[in-house]
Amino acid sequence: MARVIKQKPMNWVERLYVFECLRGLMTTLKHAARGLFRYEELPTISYPEGQPEIRNTYRAKHRLMLRPDGTPRCVACGMCAAACPAHCIFIEGTQSEDGRIEKRVMRFDIDHLTCVFCGLCVEACPVDALRMDTKKISFEHRTRDEFVAHLSDLIDWNPADYPDDAQSQVAPGGTKNKQALETWGLEVK
Amino acid sequence: MSNYYNMPKLPTENSPKVEIFVDDKAVMVPGDTNLLEALKAVGIETPHVCYHPYLPVSGNCRQCLVEQEGPRGRMLVISCYTPVAPGMKVYTPASSARVKNARKATQEFMLVNHPLDCPICDKAGECTLQENYMEAGQNEGRMRPEYGKNYHGNPEHQFIDAKGQLRGGKRVDIGPRIFLDEERCVQCDRCVRFMRSIAGDEQLQLAARADHTYITTFPGEKLDHEYDLCVTDVCPTGAMTAKYFRFQKRVWLLSHTPTVSMDDSLGANIWLDHADGKIYRMMPRCNPEVNRSWISNTTRLACLEFGKNRLPAIDMSAIKLEGKVAIVAGGECTIEDLAAIKMLAEKTGAEVFGGTFKKVGSPDGIAMSGDPMANRAGFKLMGLADDNLADLAKRASEFQTVIIVNNDVIGEGKGAADALKKIPNRIVLGAFDNETAKMATVAFGINHWSEVQGTMVNSLNMIQKLNAAPTAPDANLQPAYAVLSALAGTQFTSAFEAFKKAGEYASVLAGLSYDTIKSSGKLLEGGNA
Repeated sequence: MARVIKQKPMNWVERLYVFECLRGLMTTLKHAARGLFRYEELPTISYPEGQPEIRNTYRAKHRLMLRPDGTPRCVACGMCAAACPAHCIFIEGTQSEDGRIEKRVMRFDIDHLTCVFCGLCVEACPVDALRMDTKKISFEHRTRDEFVAHLSDLIDWNPADYPDDAQSQVAPGGTKNKQALETWGLEVK
Repeated sequence: MSNYYNMPKLPTENSPKVEIFVDDKAVMVPGDTNLLEALKAVGIETPHVCYHPYLPVSGNCRQCLVEQEGPRGRMLVISCYTPVAPGMKVYTPASSARVKNARKATQEFMLVNHPLDCPICDKAGECTLQENYMEAGQNEGRMRPEYGKNYHGNPEHQFIDAKGQLRGGKRVDIGPRIFLDEERCVQCDRCVRFMRSIAGDEQLQLAARADHTYITTFPGEKLDHEYDLCVTDVCPTGAMTAKYFRFQKRVWLLSHTPTVSMDDSLGANIWLDHADGKIYRMMPRCNPEVNRSWISNTTRLACLEFGKNRLPAIDMSAIKLEGKVAIVAGGECTIEDLAAIKMLAEKTGAEVFGGTFKKVGSPDGIAMSGDPMANRAGFKLMGLADDNLADLAKRASEFQTVIIVNNDVIGEGKGAADALKKIPNRIVLGAFDNETAKMATVAFGINHWSEVQGTMVNSLNMIQKLNAAPTAPDANLQPAYAVLSALAGTQFTSAFEAFKKAGEYASVLAGLSYDTIKSSGKLLEGGNA
């Protein structure tokens, strides 16, 4: 539904322009003075010395979740690649050595030059293997090839960086890894 | 399991038409078939799992239920095993809520213990259960997560997974070419019926009873048969998976090219499934007259070699014809290639030889005629010799030039054709870098039969169409007819141009075009095969 916003008509002082102009310059001057004398209160940050605070739900660089034994959770089903609107995910699967797991991922490449960071791959994943919660927002590389994240890059993360996430703590090095490994090592035929 | 099953009678063009009432509407259907096929003939698809048109009817899945008006009122019957009778009254889900509910319940029941691992299942995308779920199911999940799915397969294959769930039989090595997943099996017994009735070698069995039924082989035996990969085709779920295609590609990423296999003179109708210029698998293409829904392992697994060991395309100026010319054609030459060969022979006065050194067997009654020379009937139709390679070997010294097209005479002859090596100018046109290509003075790479458009005449004297799959390893490769016709002076720019030329040599082909030959082929009238 369209909403009509009625603007207040300007009075004659405002219509003279020069006083409004000075008022605007005053605001600029105020901020400039604050930057000189009380810069801690500035609403902007001086990137890259100051880093922005990023929320957990921010869609940043991808990572692949790990099972307690350190293998990627990914089962190479290709749902993320099917959902990807930018066609930047390339997956090849193969048979897993673990008898309980049928299929494992052999190649998992995400081309971050093509990626639009929409998060549909994360939504599509049936085993919660793919996440975008690394909070890594800057990508700087020398060649185009380096922008392609391979499987080894995607599983290279530290559980200590995700202290509040129980699923991340299951991975090797996490606080819940030992407990999870005991469950993981159940009878296998 | 010594049950006797009937093969379903399929409707033909000559079926008598009878009037039945579907949802109280009078329709004319083929009268000598079952209800499922009759409804299909009028455009009503009935979901089914265990029924297969070329397997005996077993009627165990109960998915194809319809209501039929009988002496005791309207009863639910399975349409796959109910013969059509004139005047019968049938009700489908379009009018009957009872049928709809019954199918839905059957579908739900079938999925109760079927694992939900579609994302990693190779059948996902072409799975009968998925299709039926969309058609007849759409149940809300009533499974209680605390109980989970139940595993009722072979007790020896049970295990407990990381979530504490009882599972089993995910990767049973049932034979050299096939893995069995017992969790996914819905016991439709299509594979058992295939091995029993079609392959004629009862290697698979249903073991145990009722809910505990599972598919197995005899103790110590393996599923090993020339046609065993067909069980992966008939399997409605992902229970039987072929090792060669397992996890290679998700099926919805494959493109399909309908063509005809040129490794046997029956010319089995096939789908070539390819993606990114690579052939991933070969599937049978249903043709009731030729191979029904079956192809042999030899035919099927050959597709993995099509892209390997190929000859490169070279400049055509390398081919020089000197002195007396002999042309040796192989069974993989299409009618178009033969037309070009004939044109070249007329132009240069060359003598044409044809045939194969491979062993010619006998038909197995399923999808092989046993004759490795695929287009033998086409040779006869075009008036070319189809079995005089021995003659050529004897008279090799007469010729100064030999052009060998699609025929590995040295490799297959095992010494029988070594006399050809003495001919000074040996030109080999072939797809593969085989032994014949190695002894050639000029080895000229051409397109494989999977990459060309054309026609072939099979051992039943049916002309069938080949279509080109875009899988040529090199874009510069040309079909054999293009190269040969260029040598003859006038190059064919399209396969149909060559086919029209073939019509000049064989009058039965004259009136035909690629549009009048159906995808299932066309029986030739005055052929001499």
